[in-house]
Amino acid sequence: MDFDEILSAGQQELRRGTVVLACLLLLRKPGYGYALLDELRGIGLSVDANTLYPLLRRLEGQGLLVSEWNTQEARPRKFYRISLVGERLTTSLLADWMRIDDSIRRLAHGDTR
Amino acid sequence: MTTLTDRYVWGVLRSVPEAQRVELEPEIRALVADAIDARAMSDGTPADPGAAERAALVELGDPEALAARYTGRSPYLIGPRLFGAWRRVVVPVTAVVVPIVSIVTLAASLLGGAPVGQAIVSTLSTGFMVAMQILFWVTFVFAVMERTGVEATIDSQPWTPDHLPEVPAPERIGLGEAIASLTASIFVAVAIVWQQAAPPVVVDGQGQPLLDPALWSFWLPYFLVIVVLEIAFTAVLYLRGRWTYPLATVNAALGAAFAIPALWLLQNGMLFNPAVIDGIDEATGGGWLAPTVIITGITIAVIVAWDAVDGFRKAYRNAHMRSPSAA
Repeated sequence: MDFDEILSAGQQELRRGTVVLACLLLLRKPGYGYALLDELRGIGLSVDANTLYPLLRRLEGQGLLVSEWNTQEARPRKFYRISLVGERLTTSLLADWMRIDDSIRRLAHGDTR
Repeated sequence: MTTLTDRYVWGVLRSVPEAQRVELEPEIRALVADAIDARAMSDGTPADPGAAERAALVELGDPEALAARYTGRSPYLIGPRLFGAWRRVVVPVTAVVVPIVSIVTLAASLLGGAPVGQAIVSTLSTGFMVAMQILFWVTFVFAVMERTGVEATIDSQPWTPDHLPEVPAPERIGLGEAIASLTASIFVAVAIVWQQAAPPVVVDGQGQPLLDPALWSFWLPYFLVIVVLEIAFTAVLYLRGRWTYPLATVNAALGAAFAIPALWLLQNGMLFNPAVIDGIDEATGGGWLAPTVIITGITIAVIVAWDAVDGFRKAYRNAHMRSPSAA
């Protein structure tokens, strides 16, 4: 296996958990699948549509998102928005993220404490 | 007219439980439509909507895989949760049942008077069929357990260090094993000489050796030489103390050097003394030769093959064993 393959596998592994948190944060304002896909790509998290759509539906099933069909436009679109439970989860995950970021930073600077 | 999109949506929905289809359909349609729009925009070629549709569907991929993502169902037959248990059932059951059934089939067809070739063919096909049956049914049951979420009862006890396998003890070749091997070699040599020196079969008042005396011109001395080499090999093996791959190879080669000419002579009717064959034919009315040849042949082949395999088996074990006591 060459280095690029290992790198992309490692990045994928790193990002897998981040996508959920990023979606929850982005959906503090309502959004639909493809717009979200673009926004994620914009912050360097490339996700495939065939992964993101089922993921959103799963988060909705878990009560973290609420959805609404928007029929005003040319085509009906399903808009998602974060729920109260989702907001609570986001707070916890964000705290965790900060802790990890902090620890990794310290490790990177050779500080073992 | 059904479009590619219609067919794709159906391709996804048909792998989804019916209760979820109505709700899921608009969602998947929106996904496909969005994907096509994104395609058309990035390619900048609204001139050919057909191409954009096709490219978007390619990007979305296999509809069954997409359906699996939506339903959270496993797109595999037996998952990691059950695979270990599945293997712990399939391997030992196959390893025990298939040889038993094969041996029984071989014995039954030979005793039933079937020709050797036909007996071997029916043995192989029966063994194969049995192996397939075991594989199918065990896999089927595990696949059902995977779908229904039933726990494998075999794995219901949590793993503890008590389940660790024993490290096999190093196999020092014992004196007993060496003596048994020597005895077998000496027995063969003595038998070859004895059947000539003190002919066991009396035909027309005259003792006749069992093996064709014409073979003394080459083959019987050859077999005696092989036996002497076998004895020397046993001595070397005992002094070395353990089986290694080179030793196992020499052992297999010696076995083949004995068995292949012996089977060839047997097959071509050159092994037994013609005078003895005629004499027994007269006494019994014939019909004994073919089964005797078969049984002798199988006996020689099985013993030599087992001996060769056993050597490699022991060499393998010694090579793959890393116990502190072997260091």
